[in-house]
Amino acid sequence: MMNRIALLGQPNSGKSTVFNALTGSRQHVGNWPGKTVEKIDGYYTYKGTRFTVTDLPGSYGLSGNSDEEVITTEFIKSGQADLVCILVDASQLERSMYMAAEFAALDKPAVLLLNMMDVAKAQNKEIDHELLQKRLGIPVLPFTAADGKGYDGLRALFAAELEHPHKLTSVPELPEAAAASSGTSSDAVQAESEAKYRWIGEILDGVTRSGQKHHELSRRDRILLSPVLGKFACFGTILLGFLAAMVICFPLMGAGSMIPQLLNKPIASLLTSWNVHPWLVSIFSIILPNTLYFCIAMSGFVFGVNLVFGYLEEIGFLARAAYQFDGLLSGLGLQGKAICPILMGFGCTIGGTCGTRVMDNWGQRMLTMAVVWAVPCASIWTIIPVISSMFFTPLQTLFIIIGILLYVVVLMTVVSKVFGRRLVPESSRSGMIMELPPYHKPHWKHIFKEALLKAWDIFKRALRTVTLISLLFWVFSYSGTGNVADSLLYKVGTSIEPVTRVFGLGWRTFMGFITSAFAKEAVLGVLNAAFVGEGTVLDATFRSAFNVAADNAVLSQAMTDVVSKAEALAFMCACTFNIPCVMALSTTYRESHSLKWTARIAAFYVCGALILACIVYHIAALFF
Amino acid sequence: MKLTETRPDQNGVIRKIGGDAHFMNRITAIGVTEGTAFQTVRNDRKMPVLLYLRETLIAVNRMDAERIEVEAQ
Repeated sequence: MMNRIALLGQPNSGKSTVFNALTGSRQHVGNWPGKTVEKIDGYYTYKGTRFTVTDLPGSYGLSGNSDEEVITTEFIKSGQADLVCILVDASQLERSMYMAAEFAALDKPAVLLLNMMDVAKAQNKEIDHELLQKRLGIPVLPFTAADGKGYDGLRALFAAELEHPHKLTSVPELPEAAAASSGTSSDAVQAESEAKYRWIGEILDGVTRSGQKHHELSRRDRILLSPVLGKFACFGTILLGFLAAMVICFPLMGAGSMIPQLLNKPIASLLTSWNVHPWLVSIFSIILPNTLYFCIAMSGFVFGVNLVFGYLEEIGFLARAAYQFDGLLSGLGLQGKAICPILMGFGCTIGGTCGTRVMDNWGQRMLTMAVVWAVPCASIWTIIPVISSMFFTPLQTLFIIIGILLYVVVLMTVVSKVFGRRLVPESSRSGMIMELPPYHKPHWKHIFKEALLKAWDIFKRALRTVTLISLLFWVFSYSGTGNVADSLLYKVGTSIEPVTRVFGLGWRTFMGFITSAFAKEAVLGVLNAAFVGEGTVLDATFRSAFNVAADNAVLSQAMTDVVSKAEALAFMCACTFNIPCVMALSTTYRESHSLKWTARIAAFYVCGALILACIVYHIAALFF
Repeated sequence: MKLTETRPDQNGVIRKIGGDAHFMNRITAIGVTEGTAFQTVRNDRKMPVLLYLRETLIAVNRMDAERIEVEAQ
């Protein structure tokens, strides 16, 4: 006996809330075999017995031919689930019961969870759940998923039902002609759906009063849903949300940045006194504390963003933003919701990447992450003006920045064309048909718990990836004498300089380019090491976050001596549109669970940046 | 008339939905079926049509809304 429970429900039914509350951190995320749809499993123990829970992909129905619907139907049909828990929104009972009507034909043991009872109560809706239970023949449990209470009752119900399962005793009577050609002709679909709603009407007759017939937009909705003002309001809200996320994660990141500062010297002197090889000293005193810091900073971001996004999603804001920006983003093959992660990307790519959790399916999420990478993050805006001002006048710098912003739009379009075809196939692209849920009061405890869970999850997983990549970078930049010329990076860099020259980059600027894939903040430090010869590349890269000691005047002198204006321009373009940073790379991998796609996108950005640099260099060389 | 031609706050009944089985599945699963009473909430140029139906606020993009014939009151 596997004791497997499957959660079935429409979007906004609170499925993932129930799943997270039941399983906590005991989750496994993978893909359904051969499909780009996430398979989310978890387990919990109740009275000594282990129960497995599968969070089925969300969809409004089951008869469609989308991957989500086919997977869900096949999974339930195959009998892999011993019990199906159908979630319906008690505040919109008639419409959300459609999922139960779809499920009825599958004839498997089930329970019905009347979720969002708090919202229904606030709307003065009364539901006679006992009558509903009698009519359906399966247990019906009134519930508020976001409220921590009631889960013991749910676990007890699951245990009891797995012992003595119930199936629906009433099912929709489908028209015969429709049943024969089920789901194939649009008339048949229409007739079937009508029969299902008729059944829902009969089942709910006397269970609940029909609600209001007229809808008056709330004041908040009158602003958020208006065509022009609404867009500004959404922009403002997302911006505020980002600031709030930064405020939340700042203390955590600050504390994290203390780690390398505090640990570096003591570890180095201790290990040196033990006569440990300098290689190992630099690994233990520089790489490991910094990796720890990177991971803490990352999880700090993930925590802040999840807290804010969890809030915005739960109150119903995200659905409004999706409505506002759907027209703009559907051109890129993206959903309107993608506006939030994309705008977050201007602050931090890590934040934008984990903000893609709100997307409906894996393909959409992966494509949004790929697009978010094109958005220059805040760190880029701290290095570009500095480098640009060494070579160009303020007015020219302004034009360079405008040029970069224009190219962002071009790059986003190219990315969506290159990856969109595979990730979001043409056949699955369809115009927006979605529900705008009523505004909900946020359940802070639940939002907080979930954000903490995600942050801890990212921290654990990222530690390995970041350590690995840091070690790789260490191998290349380690120099026994402290002189750049003794590092592998120098040897490789100078030997391939004839090639990098094609892209307009000398070995020093190419080194800066490589660094920009690691951490944008480190670029100035590395340039300093390469051009001025002060400090090692390793120190510059790993201590950049707290040691921006590079003297810009000296660097400027040294750089302008060796680097032409055309090379500088090419370098800035290459850096800006390179892989955002090792943390964004790692977050993308952790969020997408796909090494293949993360690698593909990373390769695309490296090549794209070099090609851009090549074009920019050769055109600029004609003028300067 | 078409759903896209309705005015805000106008009530009506869905009369005919055109389109392939895929579209029919999507639109009926969210609650829009022939014979359902609805209220248009917003209908702005270049924006999805917002309608209220079965106690739910639903956004339908303009291209799909063109395919929905309604009888306005």
